[in-house]
Amino acid sequence: FRLFRYVLCEVISEDPRCRQCIEDRALGLAIRDAITRVHGDYGLACCSISFTVKYLNAYTGTVLLRCRKDSYRLLCSALPFVRSLESRAQRYPCFLNTLHVGGTIRTCQKFLIQYNTTQLLRLLQNCTNEEERQCIQKSLLSCSLTEEPSPSGDEEEDDDGTETD
Amino acid sequence: MQFYEERLVELSVTQTILCFSNLFSSLNLPGDAHSEQQQKFSNQSSGPSYRKDQYFSKGQSKGERGRGRGGWQGGHQSVSEEMPKYITVSTFAQARAAEIKAMLKAVSQKSSNSLVFQTLPRHMRRRAMSHNVKRLPRRLQEMARKEAEKAVHQKKEQSKTKCRKARRRHINLVAEFNHRQRKNIWLETHIWHAKRFHMVKKWGYCLGNSPTEKSYRACYRAMTKHCLLQDLSYYCCLELKGKENELLKQLARICSIDTGLTFQEASCLSGRFEGSLNLYQADRYPEDMLGPVTFIWKPRDGSENRQLWIWVHPALKQDILRELKAIFQCSEPEEICITEPVTTSIQEEKQVEVVMKLGNKRKKEDKEGEKAVPVKKIIGDGTRDPFQSYSWIARTTGIAISDRSMEILRYRLIGPLSNSVLTETLKAASVQTEMADSETELNNWWVENCKDSEKVSLHQCQSAIFELLEGMSSPSDMPPGTILGLTVGDPRVNLPKKKTKAVPDFQKYQDNDKVRQLYLKGVPAECAHSFIWDHDICKNVTENKISEQDLNHMRAQLLVPGSHLDLGPGESKIPILLVQQPGKMAGEDRPGWGSGWDIYLPKGWGMAFWIPFIYRGVRVGGLQEAIKHSEYQRIPHTPNDFPDCQAGMQFAKELETSLLEKFKRRPPAKRANYVKLGTLSPFICPWGQLTKNWEGRMKASGGFLCPSSPHPDCCTTEGQTHCDPKAEVVREASPETGEAEEAMEITSSEGAVKTEAVTSIQDFGERGETKTSDFIVLRSEKLLMQVSAWCYPTAGKDRRIRLVSRLGQKEMTEDVFLPILMSYPRALVWVNLSLLRKGNPELHAMICIPTEDDLLRLSKDKLFCGPQEPKHRDIFKDKVRKQKEEKKKKKKDNVKSLESDSAGILDEEATEDHGDLILGLWSDALPDVTSHCSRTVLGYVTRGDFSLAAGCGEALGFVSLTGLIYMLHNQPADKKGLVLLRTPASLQYRFARLTIEV
Repeated sequence: FRLFRYVLCEVISEDPRCRQCIEDRALGLAIRDAITRVHGDYGLACCSISFTVKYLNAYTGTVLLRCRKDSYRLLCSALPFVRSLESRAQRYPCFLNTLHVGGTIRTCQKFLIQYNTTQLLRLLQNCTNEEERQCIQKSLLSCSLTEEPSPSGDEEEDDDGTETD
Repeated sequence: MQFYEERLVELSVTQTILCFSNLFSSLNLPGDAHSEQQQKFSNQSSGPSYRKDQYFSKGQSKGERGRGRGGWQGGHQSVSEEMPKYITVSTFAQARAAEIKAMLKAVSQKSSNSLVFQTLPRHMRRRAMSHNVKRLPRRLQEMARKEAEKAVHQKKEQSKTKCRKARRRHINLVAEFNHRQRKNIWLETHIWHAKRFHMVKKWGYCLGNSPTEKSYRACYRAMTKHCLLQDLSYYCCLELKGKENELLKQLARICSIDTGLTFQEASCLSGRFEGSLNLYQADRYPEDMLGPVTFIWKPRDGSENRQLWIWVHPALKQDILRELKAIFQCSEPEEICITEPVTTSIQEEKQVEVVMKLGNKRKKEDKEGEKAVPVKKIIGDGTRDPFQSYSWIARTTGIAISDRSMEILRYRLIGPLSNSVLTETLKAASVQTEMADSETELNNWWVENCKDSEKVSLHQCQSAIFELLEGMSSPSDMPPGTILGLTVGDPRVNLPKKKTKAVPDFQKYQDNDKVRQLYLKGVPAECAHSFIWDHDICKNVTENKISEQDLNHMRAQLLVPGSHLDLGPGESKIPILLVQQPGKMAGEDRPGWGSGWDIYLPKGWGMAFWIPFIYRGVRVGGLQEAIKHSEYQRIPHTPNDFPDCQAGMQFAKELETSLLEKFKRRPPAKRANYVKLGTLSPFICPWGQLTKNWEGRMKASGGFLCPSSPHPDCCTTEGQTHCDPKAEVVREASPETGEAEEAMEITSSEGAVKTEAVTSIQDFGERGETKTSDFIVLRSEKLLMQVSAWCYPTAGKDRRIRLVSRLGQKEMTEDVFLPILMSYPRALVWVNLSLLRKGNPELHAMICIPTEDDLLRLSKDKLFCGPQEPKHRDIFKDKVRKQKEEKKKKKKDNVKSLESDSAGILDEEATEDHGDLILGLWSDALPDVTSHCSRTVLGYVTRGDFSLAAGCGEALGFVSLTGLIYMLHNQPADKKGLVLLRTPASLQYRFARLTIEV
């Protein structure tokens, strides 16, 4: 019944300048390239049926991809092989981190909300100085449309990985 | 797979760690660097409050535009120059927060057009969910509440002033019923039609366009083999009263003997036949066409005052009425002029009375009944404003013009069985010598009439002839336009129990001398008399109609249920008029096709006659069927095919806007690009341009025979040396053709018009601007005959030498046709075309001249369908694109300027100005329409379709007279009259034979 799968991923790069290249075209090309490398022409043909970048946010590095349900495994398996993004004759190393695979855009959106919130909360917990904490709290408060209580947290800086589902 | 996933996890963990360590290391930047970052951000937008919007500005504007998708899509950023080089906690958090917010917004919005409760899975649905919000799950209640509020606004506001009980009260229902038909007049059969037809609002009426059931072919079959019924009550009747010679003297000015009949035609003048003719503005023939009309004279009854009905199409009515008023100088409304000659003052008083009655319908009812219930206005008396005059009189001559539209109903029966339908439905009234009830006025006119033995015998004569109609196989056996007056009984009385098909019984009339007599002599003149001409009798009949309810009540009280109801003396007598419609008269095939009878009834009796007809198995058609009827008869339809009259131009304009609208509704990629197809004006026929171009071609070539053609090889070179002076001489030398006289006439009449223009300045003043018809339509019968004879091949296997000689026409030589061209430089001719092979012509198809090469290929190759038009280049494409870009830029500017200052309004207006550049349409002034394509354009098709009657594609249209004669002159003898047809959205030309039927 549902024809598509939506893959929500995150572009992660060491170099902050990489975010300049987070664009529709650049990303699409990179992924296609990866698919070709991994699965060959057959895989590319399978995946590129109605393959699009539905959403992308350069500031957070979130990307939503759409592909046919039949071939999303091919796509998912090729995503880790995206090693760099290239745009405007600049190439930055980066990789894609799959967060969620959903059947509708809506579920992906819901997941993204939840994911971002947890991220922010974790950041808040790990805050070091007062200024930052307030800043985060403010942004946490601002993002709520309806409800979003701002919890208090203790301070401890630690790295937090973003897990795949 | 396993491998991939593992690897993915591993990779991501390591990389993220790296990333975040990087991130948080940057957090330890000194404070000034931090603030610098902030600065960068605030530079992008006008203020800190917009910061989050700016991330999603594109998407949000999309969402606001009403797709309801929410603002989440807008992450596509291309502002990479403004990307921060380092990540701080605050920007990181802000970016996430903004995303969360956008996503929240998107998620909380529902995506589809359906209502909230419709999106629930089926097992969660509950009864009455749509109006009871609390039935929904909690989380959806808020949304549903909002939705419910919106829906109330969308719904039509019910008048809350009255409760339902009050609204449903009879009096209010009737008031509502009357209110609904105020704007567009309803016919008496409106309700019947509205249940079965697609209704359209046209010419101020609400008319049935075509049946909702599938009946295209069935209606055609009914016309050919059975009987098709149409309600033509929307046609307007203009009544002229006055002395015969006075009437004729003025009426002669608005028509011409050239076009066929005039009002003076002897057979029509006696009242025996109905005539039809084309009206022109006074003394302006052949320019300034007013429109086609039919007319009936009331038979002579001793007095010198005559009565004339002119039946016009409602689209033409205003023009014709104005012209009639002008020529008879009937300016004042009749009610005002009290000091009038005796003959008219009587009528005038009556009419005033009628007007009063109309105005005070409610009071009148008051008198009769107890309740002040307004009458249902379906009987068509509320059609006119009672205070607006509809009757005018001339002081000097005593001629009165009155507008009797909707006073007389008119039904049309088409088809061979209409005879038997008529005779079965209608029964002649019985002679009655005593009143049924002395108190009512019911039938008192009839009783009066029956006392006169002469009139009784006339009635018996009429009814005898009417009975004989059943013995005739088709209405076309009668002389065209035969009129038969009759008085009939109530048709509702002998309604059959079931719907039956009326079939004639020819056995009964096989060797009946009377039928043979009728065939030979037609209906005698005195039988044309009918009481329907008398306003008082009509009014009496209308008012004393037994209501349907009473009739049913009486039926219920019959001793034997279902037996014949005999009303005895109480049965109404209705005067009617039967007029034969001749059907197809011109041409050779299908003579008499589509013949039938028109029935004229006094108003109020519409449904009483309609239902009995339906019970005799007739099929009912609407406007579309009427168009088809005239198409198969190959006659022009009013007002579609009269491009030289006001209503026709109006129609063409409306058609153009509607077609353009339809064109624009398609997505640009799915539209036909008419520029590439070489179609200059796909939605309207540029008649003026066409005739002008042909005239220009003729002049440019210094004579006629070699107009500048895109294919000079196709025009023969004989006699090119003609120049204007010589042509003049030729014209002078052949005065017997009569065209020179006509030219003279035109000039003289123009002089007359100049003097007349002073008297009726107001009329011309109004019209002067709109009247731009610089062409005429050739309607002179003699000329049409001549040209028609030329259209046939004169050699080869389909030659018509016999025909030509029979018609006594001249050979096509220069000294015959040059004078015609001189006197009619800008004329159009009504032609019909039938496709030789494949092809289905459409509206506005182009009629083109085939080249010699085409004709050669046609004769050689049996399967040759026609040449192809080479593709044209779209010269406007760049322009359109440029404009689009400009618009886009302006829009961007506007958005910017709205933020800073609202100065973008002026620009917007500027773009609106030339906003009519549409891709695929010719947007400049039209170039030479004749030579734009590879084949020279001769004219355009106004109606074309596959003809069920002929079994091939057939088209009707107009061609330029100049072009036609040029083509005929240059074509080889055995290929005369062959043309090419090309529909606007195709490159394929198709061969067709052109004929002119007179």
